[in-house]
Amino acid sequence: MLPPSAAPARMIPLGQDPEDTIPVRSGIAVIEAVLRHPRRLLYQMRNAGGGRLIAALLFATVLCSALYGLVVGSFSGGIQLWAAPLKITIGLLLSAAICLPSLYIFACLSGSSARLSEIAGFVAGLLVLTGLLLIGFAPVAWLFAQSTESVVWMGLLHLVFWSVATLFGLKFLRAGFAHTQARSNAGLAAWVIVFILVALQMSTALRPIVGHSESFLPSEKKFFLAHWGDCIDQANRDNVPRNVQTGETSTNKAP
Amino acid sequence: MSQSSPIRLLLRGQPADLQPWVTAPPLRHVALWVLLIIGGAGLYGATMGWWRDPRQGLYVAMKFPLILLLTTGGNALLNAMLAPLLGLNISFKQSLAAVLMSFAIAAAILGSFAPVTAWIVWNAPPLTLDASASREVHSAILLTHVVIIAFAGVVSNVHLLRLLKVLSGSGSIGSRVLLAWLAGNLFLGSQLSWILRPFIGSPGLPIQFLRPDAFQGNFYETVFRSVVRVLNP
Repeated sequence: MLPPSAAPARMIPLGQDPEDTIPVRSGIAVIEAVLRHPRRLLYQMRNAGGGRLIAALLFATVLCSALYGLVVGSFSGGIQLWAAPLKITIGLLLSAAICLPSLYIFACLSGSSARLSEIAGFVAGLLVLTGLLLIGFAPVAWLFAQSTESVVWMGLLHLVFWSVATLFGLKFLRAGFAHTQARSNAGLAAWVIVFILVALQMSTALRPIVGHSESFLPSEKKFFLAHWGDCIDQANRDNVPRNVQTGETSTNKAP
Repeated sequence: MSQSSPIRLLLRGQPADLQPWVTAPPLRHVALWVLLIIGGAGLYGATMGWWRDPRQGLYVAMKFPLILLLTTGGNALLNAMLAPLLGLNISFKQSLAAVLMSFAIAAAILGSFAPVTAWIVWNAPPLTLDASASREVHSAILLTHVVIIAFAGVVSNVHLLRLLKVLSGSGSIGSRVLLAWLAGNLFLGSQLSWILRPFIGSPGLPIQFLRPDAFQGNFYETVFRSVVRVLNP
């Protein structure tokens, strides 16, 4: 028999359904719970074992983002094989850390009764769900990485995958907020925009993630839209295929 | 459940018959679906490439099932995660079984049309460099393949949608899951088809399993450049 779908249980208070109280202890249980039984995680975040659960979620995030970063780095090879995983992992965690205080404030302003640790748990759930979806996209990303030489195309593809993954990750955040007596979702909606902008700028601040560059981090500061525009202009001007032997070309500038 | 053969039950596509195969996929049925994909898609692929050359037919007989199986495997994890996130609480094994089953249905339909397409190719003038003679016939054969493949795809997805609706108990959840799976499978499948070209082949190019530039460029870049060229001649 298949377990019932998630939709009808959402309106029941956390803990009222006996399924919610099943503890989540192992790594596999955490991953299964975030996909199929998010209410268990939300319940545990509110009760005993919440701190350890959040640590497990963050650890899973690190693993997932590092693995996806390896796929991203496989496009260029060389130092990107370790630089891309490192930057993607740090970028995700740093973006979340930068935006966490404002999420707590928005939650309080919306009338939510959630504690800071609970809010941190929601963000950890968002990150791990995003990471898991990115792992799901990894085979597709790898295939395209092996069959194109366009840095702009690969940058766009990873952006699309990250956007879809984040969209699903936000489901966890919304599910968490639904149980905190928040009067309105306007604050959460505003925070989502802030988070996305921070994450997009983070990808530019940590460039190059796709492609090559002389330095690990950029010396020039740029707004992410300006950087994307420069990359597209550069690709249109040069349109030179990547040199297979050296792995370098004038078009391989950092997105 | 009826005592009919598994293939007949598969093609009838009644959710009551297919649901037990998804909730607890029997190994012998999974093996049957894989064999159907290899056999059905392989036979049909052979007729696609045969017009160019029998060797091309042999290559496409290998490549067409490979596309279906690689798409299933490549998106297995993604499909398994999307289903519960969209409201259908099934496991990795169950989602893999559902997708494999739908591809097996499509492959069985394609295999059944293989004699028809073989007949068309047998009656068609040879594929030559003479553009005026070949162009119309090439277009007609290409269109025939497109229609048959589209038909097989539509039927298999209709069966899958009915099954997903029964599994989820909700029409909207079933539709959402199918659309998400379709989007992912089409995206990956298009690129796999691009890498594994040629299929029908070209008289001006040698008979090859893969083109030398198989891993240089992708389907979507090429489409984008074509659009740009059309808009900016």
